[in-house]
Amino acid sequence: MAAPKQRAPIPFPSKEATVSQGATHADPNDLVARCQAGDVDAFETLYRQHSARIYTLACRMGGSVEDGEDLLQEIFLQAYRKIGSFKRDAAIGTWLYRLALNHCLDYVRSRQAKMNKLTETLDAEASFEPMARRDTPIARMDLERALERLPEGCREAFVLHDVEGFDHKEVGELLGIAEGTSKSQVFKARAKLRAILRRH
Amino acid sequence: MHPNETVIHDYIDGALDVRARTELERHLAGCAECRRLVDDLRDISKAVAGLKDEWREPPVRAWGRLERAIRLEHEHGARRVQQGDAAAHAEVPVKPSSSTALRLVPWLAAAAVLVLATAVGLQFRAGRRAGPDATTATPGASIASGDAARAVEAELRAAEEHYTRAITGLEQITKTEQGALDPGTAATLQKNLAVIDQAISESRAALRTQPASEPAQESLVENFKAKITLLQDTVALINEMRKGNDAGAARIVSGLKPKGDS
Repeated sequence: MAAPKQRAPIPFPSKEATVSQGATHADPNDLVARCQAGDVDAFETLYRQHSARIYTLACRMGGSVEDGEDLLQEIFLQAYRKIGSFKRDAAIGTWLYRLALNHCLDYVRSRQAKMNKLTETLDAEASFEPMARRDTPIARMDLERALERLPEGCREAFVLHDVEGFDHKEVGELLGIAEGTSKSQVFKARAKLRAILRRH
Repeated sequence: MHPNETVIHDYIDGALDVRARTELERHLAGCAECRRLVDDLRDISKAVAGLKDEWREPPVRAWGRLERAIRLEHEHGARRVQQGDAAAHAEVPVKPSSSTALRLVPWLAAAAVLVLATAVGLQFRAGRRAGPDATTATPGASIASGDAARAVEAELRAAEEHYTRAITGLEQITKTEQGALDPGTAATLQKNLAVIDQAISESRAALRTQPASEPAQESLVENFKAKITLLQDTVALINEMRKGNDAGAARIVSGLKPKGDS
């Protein structure tokens, strides 16, 4: 099995550089220290604080709740293994987010390599079909379902750019594609979403 | 002539310079089709902007799965320490979670024990999934040198035994406790179980004719996993209803839509 590729440090979304810490009353430093000492109760608290954020990212990047749940487990297991090396030079939520994003990207790459399938077939289907007239805003659940139906390649670029707030240069670095390709993938995703939501 | 796709998206993103924007807006004033496209993309953009801070709660069972995986890994690490593996010394030690045992009602604790047995079976799938972390997460899944095909078949048989044992135990619990569920939910669960059972039968039939077929092996394990997940959800749901946690129960029920529905 090939070793994972070394990647440059993950930048933060340029639109929003903060990562929520979640609702907590515990001292984050104390919590991290307890996690580093192997306290499973403390690790559960850390999980409760951050799991929704990480699970949501994993579902969107993986394209299904099943993948999201598997990725969530793998990410937190990895976090448990690596928390001893966490130097507290960033917030624990930021560290977790980087870990999660790295893991999701590895997963996406590995799956794409296996399936050798990108979005070449998208263009014909995702033409500029208008959506049905809407008097109400697009419901969140409709949008989440539509996201799951986006083809691999453009979904990841779309999630990273339009949802997570990375710019096209950053998306290109994260996905190992050119900036222009990121742009075209995001545009394809939007066109596809329009087509999906039209039929919804 | 309509502007190209890129111009429209750049307009939505506010990435056009003044001249290009003015030109596009002039076109939009006279073109209903492009106006419609811009309106749709703006609607999508507006909805997507709200997703950034809209997070889904993971399934209730997810922490239990993780905690079991941590313990299994710790147990494996302890064995490696005994065997003199220096890397294992660096692993984070596990202090017991005080909350888990206290939270479980007796029959649910029994379910937890049964599900723990499935973790061994789960290694079959996890070990076959690509990625170095999946391998280190399930060290028992690595296949020793020698006849790999035979090893995989043996591994599959072992996984099947574990799954079957866990499923039997979980089925017993859900049958005994199913009175706690409303008839509609119980019917949905039964329908889902029937679909999964059918899939398991089909996977088994495929393996009878092609024992070495990797897709058939993976399909069988996936179907076992689906059944265990559904039964775990059922146990978690019964537990939430008994605790009177309507919100927790609703979250679980929302994930139990009938199989085969789009």
